[in-house]
Amino acid sequence: MLGRVRERGTLRSSGRVVPLDQDRALVRAAQADPLQFDPLYRKYLAQVYNLAYHELGDHHEAEDVTERTFMLALGGLPRFQETAPDDAGPEASTFRVWLFRIARNVVANHRRTVRRRPTAPLEAAAGVAASDDVEGGAVARSEASAAWAAVRRLPGDRRRAVVLRFVDDLSTAEIAGILERSEGAVRVLLHRALRSVARELSREDDRAHSDHGQGRNEGAR
Amino acid sequence: MILQPANLDAMEVDALQTDRYLDALLAAVERRALDVPADAAVDPTLRRAARRLRDELVRTHPSFRFEERLARRLADAAVRMRLATAAGGEAEAALIPFPTPLLADPTLAAELANPELAALLGLGDAAIESRAEAPVDSHVAVPGRPTATAPADGLAGLAAPLRPVVARPLLVGGALTSAALSLAGAAFVAWRLTRGAPADPMARAVRAARAAREAAAVTTTRMTAVAASATTHPVTARTARNVATAGSRHRRLA
Repeated sequence: MLGRVRERGTLRSSGRVVPLDQDRALVRAAQADPLQFDPLYRKYLAQVYNLAYHELGDHHEAEDVTERTFMLALGGLPRFQETAPDDAGPEASTFRVWLFRIARNVVANHRRTVRRRPTAPLEAAAGVAASDDVEGGAVARSEASAAWAAVRRLPGDRRRAVVLRFVDDLSTAEIAGILERSEGAVRVLLHRALRSVARELSREDDRAHSDHGQGRNEGAR
Repeated sequence: MILQPANLDAMEVDALQTDRYLDALLAAVERRALDVPADAAVDPTLRRAARRLRDELVRTHPSFRFEERLARRLADAAVRMRLATAAGGEAEAALIPFPTPLLADPTLAAELANPELAALLGLGDAAIESRAEAPVDSHVAVPGRPTATAPADGLAGLAAPLRPVVARPLLVGGALTSAALSLAGAAFVAWRLTRGAPADPMARAVRAARAAREAAAVTTTRMTAVAASATTHPVTARTARNVATAGSRHRRLA
């Protein structure tokens, strides 16, 4: 699952050398004493939150999913088994892959629930951002970017693969573990996703150029 | 020029080249490099799109307030788990599926209706075993065994040890055992009280030591009271001396 290991202490996935997770000691400590879960939580909070946010597009829903993910991970940690291959070295860990798989499933559960009981935030209904929601405002501005919009339009696993690769900075091998696909399949997913994004962006650029040219012509007239 | 295995089709080769480019591009973030050298075979539009995704996809961090609130909640849950482990709940989980207190939380248990998630958390097999052992007409919940009253809502697929107990919430094992222990303890104390004092030398020695301690305490209290009154009533000074002498004699005897 974690790809081929070429040398001790590092994992080489499709040419890129990524440091192996240093989680094994942390995971063992947390399994022995649940209060020691905190370092793992702090380490992966932002990544899990990012995945949830880019999947759901809502700050509050992302927090909800993040919370559930970590609570479930803490509850399931005593039963978590290290499945990294023996030859992956003493530092190899599949904890991160396991955690993201939990997150992915919690997101899927959340989506199902939302589909059954659709709700809309009041701010969205009013078309304004909450005045005290600084983060929400920043995110809303970033959402305006064409790249973000192109990613949002990608189908399920392609979008997930792009977010995991570009936002959470996971390796292809780790994404393969999370999406339960082969590394080759993930590479193809990413390649196709990039193609779609490139098409969207060039279309967007063309539109912007034509608008700009039209404006200049009108100005000259 | 990169040599590729012969059995890869064109798409896989392109994907592999793109992936290598992405590896290099994302690894260059720390060097603050704008772009990295790439194989000419990688489409320039793909390279541009990759650069834009790297630069424009925001990495957000949840609020500090949320982070600390969740940290506190996790710590509370960890304390509960630790207590459960100390009580033997987790230790027995290998033999008898017993609800992890944290995962028995109804809101989290609802998440486990997803079989993939239940399997990820190592609860799938336990659930199947527990379902197989479920009594047909039982109305009491036994640890590790689901109640016979099948939940009619979405909890049907829930891992059995995590299913909220909706029948009579009586845990036969724990409650009866503790009740039996309490009854046995009460009976033992009553029996000891009705029986005469034991006559073995150790018990006699203990009794004597206890009696001496009590007598000494009583004497000291009385002396203090008499001494206090002697200062105001000189007539009782002699009586106080007598009491003090008697007290010290008593202590010597004891």
